[in-house]
Amino acid sequence: MELVGGEVHYTFVIQKTMVLLLCVGLAWKMIVYMCNLLKIEKEPIRVLVTGAAGNIGYAIAPMIARGVMLGPDQPMILHLLDIEPASKSLEAVKMELQDSAFPLLHGVIATTNVNEACKDVNIAVLIGGYARKEGMERKDVMSKNAAIYKAQASALERYASDDCKVLVVANPANTNALVLKEFAPSIPEENITCLTRLDHNRAQARLAEKLGVPVSSVKNVIVWGNHSSTQYPDTSHATVSTKTGDQPAKELLVADQKWLKNEFITEVQQRGAEIIRARKQSSALSAASAACDHIHDWFLGTPKGNWVSMGVCSDGSYGIPPGLVYSFPVICEKGSWKIVQGLSIDEFSREKMDDSARELAEEKALAYSCLNV
Amino acid sequence: MAKEPVRVLVTGAAGQIGYALVPMIARGIMLGADQPVILHMLDIPPAAEALNGVKMELIDAAFPLLKGVVATTDAVEGCTGVNVAVMVGGFPRKEGMERKDVMSKNVSIYKSQAAALEKHAAPNCKVLVVANPANTNALILKEFAPSIPEKNITCLTRLDHNRALGQISERLSVPVSDVKNYPDVNHAKVQTSSGEKPVRELVKNDEWLNGEFITTVQQRGAAIIKARKLSSALSAASSACDHIRDWVLGTPEGTFVSMGVYSDGSYNVPSGLIYSFPVTCRNGEWSIVQGLPIDEVSRKKMDLTAEELKEEKDLAYSCLS
Repeated sequence: MELVGGEVHYTFVIQKTMVLLLCVGLAWKMIVYMCNLLKIEKEPIRVLVTGAAGNIGYAIAPMIARGVMLGPDQPMILHLLDIEPASKSLEAVKMELQDSAFPLLHGVIATTNVNEACKDVNIAVLIGGYARKEGMERKDVMSKNAAIYKAQASALERYASDDCKVLVVANPANTNALVLKEFAPSIPEENITCLTRLDHNRAQARLAEKLGVPVSSVKNVIVWGNHSSTQYPDTSHATVSTKTGDQPAKELLVADQKWLKNEFITEVQQRGAEIIRARKQSSALSAASAACDHIHDWFLGTPKGNWVSMGVCSDGSYGIPPGLVYSFPVICEKGSWKIVQGLSIDEFSREKMDDSARELAEEKALAYSCLNV
Repeated sequence: MAKEPVRVLVTGAAGQIGYALVPMIARGIMLGADQPVILHMLDIPPAAEALNGVKMELIDAAFPLLKGVVATTDAVEGCTGVNVAVMVGGFPRKEGMERKDVMSKNVSIYKSQAAALEKHAAPNCKVLVVANPANTNALILKEFAPSIPEKNITCLTRLDHNRALGQISERLSVPVSDVKNYPDVNHAKVQTSSGEKPVRELVKNDEWLNGEFITTVQQRGAAIIKARKLSSALSAASSACDHIRDWVLGTPEGTFVSMGVYSDGSYNVPSGLIYSFPVTCRNGEWSIVQGLPIDEVSRKKMDLTAEELKEEKDLAYSCLS
């Protein structure tokens, strides 16, 4: 091409550059398209739900099947277990799951056989347990549940996948988890947890309500201890996101310190009973949702700068005796949880944390006495 | 920047379909993972305490997308500003009740529901009627809310659609997401490793397809009641979410779904009825899939159900007089 003056040279360069960019752009689109064609779907994960014919089971099954628990691109196979008297209801749950045509749900096994239910499961959500009935002594409830969780432990140990993550929901959750751990020694103890996320979510919501902010603006509340009336919802490290960044919640509630140390705590502790009074049944929707949150964060990681509450095997952190399943603040990364260390504990908190630990030690002693009989 | 919240009304919210449906809405299953919502939950005064219990649980679940909950027994408060209305509330048939009695009760419920929605809902509110008799309740709603565009009033047949997909996927042992385009098996296809194949070809059993398959789907609701002692809630709630989601966000390319919509005379179905058709959805609007060949067997069945809907319409109007 003939060069006539400097301007023509520049036009030439610009034209060539634009053609080059166009080619690169088209090539990129082709590469992305081909990659999408080759996108291999993930292998399904097996999720066990015990007590699946009950109210919490009925609420949690569609949540799992929609990807709320494991993410929107993770297929799963549901294993639903319940006792023989519930087998018809259990079959109906399986039918309804089929009727919903969930794209992520690659199979449903509905069974009353615990071994079949536990086979190769990667996640186990243990909702089944013996509910306290009127007139029952605490020892009776403990006795029945200790026996159930001892049997559950053997089945999981023998048949579940080696990496199985366990979440105990049925009450007394912490002690059921402890019994499970004791009788399934080959399951790594870090894989056995219990649900206190419901209390954590309740605490977060109550605090957000008091502050008049969206619930997602509040983070890092903690629930310490036992999922019982001795649980300690702790706001001393909670923050609220504001226009000027994260502010400590207790600074925003300087005039309500008394409320934080009294009514707030009792409201969260007794919320379960309040729900029962209104609904005439215990919480199912919120328990199921919290169980999904617990597994989701454990599996996929907590958001940066956020921690959550999980009932985990104590390693002695914060002066809590090892050998108990105790609720701590944790962060999760790459499929593992880690207790958040170094948080300052004031006298008020210390007392409450120790109270709950004491109750758990008593429950442990009671459970063991039931098992020796 | 976060989207403005959408107001979603659920009537009969204290019941079991409501209890299954509200966490699904609050998790973004109905309107998408980035769409904040404000839930309006309406029920009758005897259910006020239970309704409040549901509100408490929704708060306890700390759903990031849920920007507010209005729990009320006042229809005006329930309907104010709503962009989506899922009508689950209705009078269920009790033992010993005549069809006329059930129809009569539901017709008056939907007549007053219509007035409240027309006056207080947001313009362009999308309505999904779930409570049975769904098609006729929706028709009554349409008749008594003339300022709501008739294309915005629909009823749920997505549950039956999903049930049919489930039956076919089980019969063929394929994932349910590979089965599509079902208003009936003549048009349904399955994604196989060698491309899309018609269901009839793969099942190779016309007797089953024309007989047992149809009756299984038709009577599935009763089968669930027999096993659970309660009617379907989980699957009904899930299908209601699918119906609204596809309507609002669009159906995937090359797929159609079933919706109960106001007939325009397509496929020789009389206009003036709410009838389930195959539809695609785009930009918040549904349109009936045209041009599907209808064989004799299908024609007979389609006419039969239109007949029944005409009878229900007459019965409903006689109750109102």
